[in-house]
Amino acid sequence: MISRVFVLAVATLALLGAGWVAAAPVQADNAEAELIARDLALAPGEAAIIGLRIKHDPHWHTYWLNPGDSGMPTTIQWKLPAGIKAGQIQWPVPKRIPVPPMMNHGFEGEIVLPVEIRVPKDWPAGQEAKLAARADWLICKDVCIPGGADLTLSLPVVAASPAPNLQWKALFEAAFAGMPGGKVEKASASTAGGVITLKLEGVKPLPGREVFALSTIEGLVESAAPQTVKEDGGATVITLAVTSNLSASEPRISGVVIGVAERALSFEAPMSGKIVAGKGMDEPPAKGAKPAGAAGGEELSLALAIVFALFGGLILNLMPCVFPILSLKVLGFARGGGTVAMRANGLSFAAGVVLSFIALAAVLLGLRAAGEAVGWGFQLQSPLVVTFLALLFFALGLNLSGVFEFSSLLPQSLASASFEHPAVDSFFSGVLAAVVASPCTAPFMGAALGYAVTQNPWTALAVFGALGCGMAAPYILLAWFPGWLKRLPKPGPWLAKFKQLLAFPMYATVVWLAWVLSLQIGPNAIVWLGAAMVLIALGTWLLGQTTTARWRFGAALIIALGLYAAWPTGETVAAGNSTSKADGWVPFAAADIAALNAAGTPVFVDFTAAWCVTCQVNKKVVLETKAVRAAFAAKSVKLMRADWTRRDPVITAALAEFGRNGVPVYVLYAPGKPPVLLPEILSERIVTDALKSL
Amino acid sequence: MLHLRTLISVLVFSLGSSALAAAPPGQMAPNFSLPTTDGKTTRLADFKGKWVVLEWVNPGCPYVQKHYVSKNMQALQKEGDGKGVVWLAVNSTNPSHQDYLKPAAMGNWMKAQGGTPRATLMDEGGDTGRAYSARTTPQMLLINPDGKVVYNGAIDDKRSYNPEDVKTAKNHLRVALDESLAGKSVSTASTAPYGCSVKY
Repeated sequence: MISRVFVLAVATLALLGAGWVAAAPVQADNAEAELIARDLALAPGEAAIIGLRIKHDPHWHTYWLNPGDSGMPTTIQWKLPAGIKAGQIQWPVPKRIPVPPMMNHGFEGEIVLPVEIRVPKDWPAGQEAKLAARADWLICKDVCIPGGADLTLSLPVVAASPAPNLQWKALFEAAFAGMPGGKVEKASASTAGGVITLKLEGVKPLPGREVFALSTIEGLVESAAPQTVKEDGGATVITLAVTSNLSASEPRISGVVIGVAERALSFEAPMSGKIVAGKGMDEPPAKGAKPAGAAGGEELSLALAIVFALFGGLILNLMPCVFPILSLKVLGFARGGGTVAMRANGLSFAAGVVLSFIALAAVLLGLRAAGEAVGWGFQLQSPLVVTFLALLFFALGLNLSGVFEFSSLLPQSLASASFEHPAVDSFFSGVLAAVVASPCTAPFMGAALGYAVTQNPWTALAVFGALGCGMAAPYILLAWFPGWLKRLPKPGPWLAKFKQLLAFPMYATVVWLAWVLSLQIGPNAIVWLGAAMVLIALGTWLLGQTTTARWRFGAALIIALGLYAAWPTGETVAAGNSTSKADGWVPFAAADIAALNAAGTPVFVDFTAAWCVTCQVNKKVVLETKAVRAAFAAKSVKLMRADWTRRDPVITAALAEFGRNGVPVYVLYAPGKPPVLLPEILSERIVTDALKSL
Repeated sequence: MLHLRTLISVLVFSLGSSALAAAPPGQMAPNFSLPTTDGKTTRLADFKGKWVVLEWVNPGCPYVQKHYVSKNMQALQKEGDGKGVVWLAVNSTNPSHQDYLKPAAMGNWMKAQGGTPRATLMDEGGDTGRAYSARTTPQMLLINPDGKVVYNGAIDDKRSYNPEDVKTAKNHLRVALDESLAGKSVSTASTAPYGCSVKY
């Protein structure tokens, strides 16, 4: 009875506030520190969680267990009543704090470093426990200042399970949520040439998440060096650069890894091989199996990536991918006009291209940041976008054929804007050109793209902007030096005929987009698309015939009905559609490649997509010719096709292994050799020569 | 034009932070030519045939203060001098950093501490620091008469800023010097340096 009254009294007192739990924050340089307890009291024979709370001034940080290139881990020296035992600091996963060219691991803001303490069973009930500790840390912003505090915390000891202290609940919860949520079951490591290859079995990189391993051993891993991450069967393989100030000689590595599970995981691995010092602070780790001939994405510098992007964009103009928009490009210039108008048109077209590239890139990066495994060309992986583009090109074709004028379709003000400012037209031509033609990758472009998507958003946008600039460059030049225009006949009736002629490439584009759509969501989609086109043709024809408001409303209604008819429903075709099943080709299966290679069979993989015209041209003109088929057969090459027409995270990941983020990509896996990348534009010669090396 | 500005600034940045080499033990020490605090120029190549110690220093760093307040660094400098070792203190602090001292002030600080390095060098651009992968102040290197690095790392094994710890620490540089001058190879040739980050 007495003890119940006692417990009740203690609980009531405790509820009155933390005041009874005696402690006060100590103000140190640029931080406030305090010992805090998770619960309102201690219990004899039970473990309790006490923490060192540090509230850093903004932008100041203290350090993790392995502080990185400089700094010092925070330490706690306990002065505890006899019988009470304290454990080690339970470290949350730190923030990586760059101090270029170095990297530190530490904490900012308000944190708690928890420690488990244990009160002996025979602790006299009712006697309060006075905990004292000396905490020492180094706190840094631009400068470093040693910090420390002598801290005390008096806690009641009660027989019943104590209630949590709500004041610190959130802080402790955040600390524990930031700790490894488990351990990687099986991990191994090998080292050679200043690189550690860490293999974490049974975990895979989560899509869209940064994967990173932090060593808890100081003086082992180069903190600032980039890490490469690969998925290998059911394991995650991370390469880490050994620091040039190697001090660890023990043949093991331990640490934490993020990005392979919802929470961080700890790992511990024995290490085989002779560990030698790495090259220094800024050197990226050497690659494990770097594909020969690959302009390895990760190794590009930004400057080089931008040069590649400019070239890639320029070459993009010569790729089959731009066939669909030939009409658009020619039309802008055929319109002619004075020098000023030409330049305005050229600049507007370029602006449309560059801004679209940047906008597409922003969406792409946003999707990736949100965890979607998408790559360049993602817009054409969406049936909705393909449908919309097919109908838009159809409408443009009708317009060129003279069925209707856009001025009758648009609200008066907008129509006159477009009429009086051809630059607006050019801008949107540029937008269309970028949206439709950019999905394929050109030589140089693949490497630049692969680099861009692994960088921070600003860097990535700069590279994409450069791609757009490259693609737009010829138009600016043509617009600026219109001497060539003199060779064209003067505008006259021929121009009207020429305009009508340009409608046919538009219709061809519609056929291509319809085919893409059929592969994405099946043949039924084509019926609906066709119905929509009939309705749109009817509606626009009506618009071309009439000017009365009532008829125009009716026409608009019919067009709207057409758009509704074509709206793609959610169904998608199961993987392994007609493109991948084509004779002799099997769908891409990454896991089979190693096994086939081990059995001595070479493997050729065609990373392709229906919307990638360059891919289709390569397929028809090279891969499916008799000569090439015979060459494949002669070497018993297993042919795999990775079809990226629809979104496919597995293929996106496979492309990323080659530092790519777009198609086409052609890879030859020869037994016992690193995989070889072939160029984006194939010829029979290129393929047969590559096969000769087998 | 936003992207253009970003592009240009990023380009300038990437040129500014050029790739680094390093000087792990066994490698040739990268040569350098740096102004001293009294306005002369010192080249590493001038000391071929001699043992050379490089000490990364920043008077604003509590870890540097630890070894000067305790007179530990000065004692090592004298010991080295007595054995014909050339001691060069290098300050790689960026002039825009609040820890930066002008050459004269740096020279005066060293004098006031009673430090006796052969020269105190101003590496304001940080190129020499980066060439050696100097991470912290202090960080110590020992270079043999052939110009090869034989020790690179921490001054000792007590990774603290408490001057008292100097008494009980195992001084890695002293061990490396003693072993080297006795004709032996250095037993611990590389350690993780500790201290403040070099203020590049």
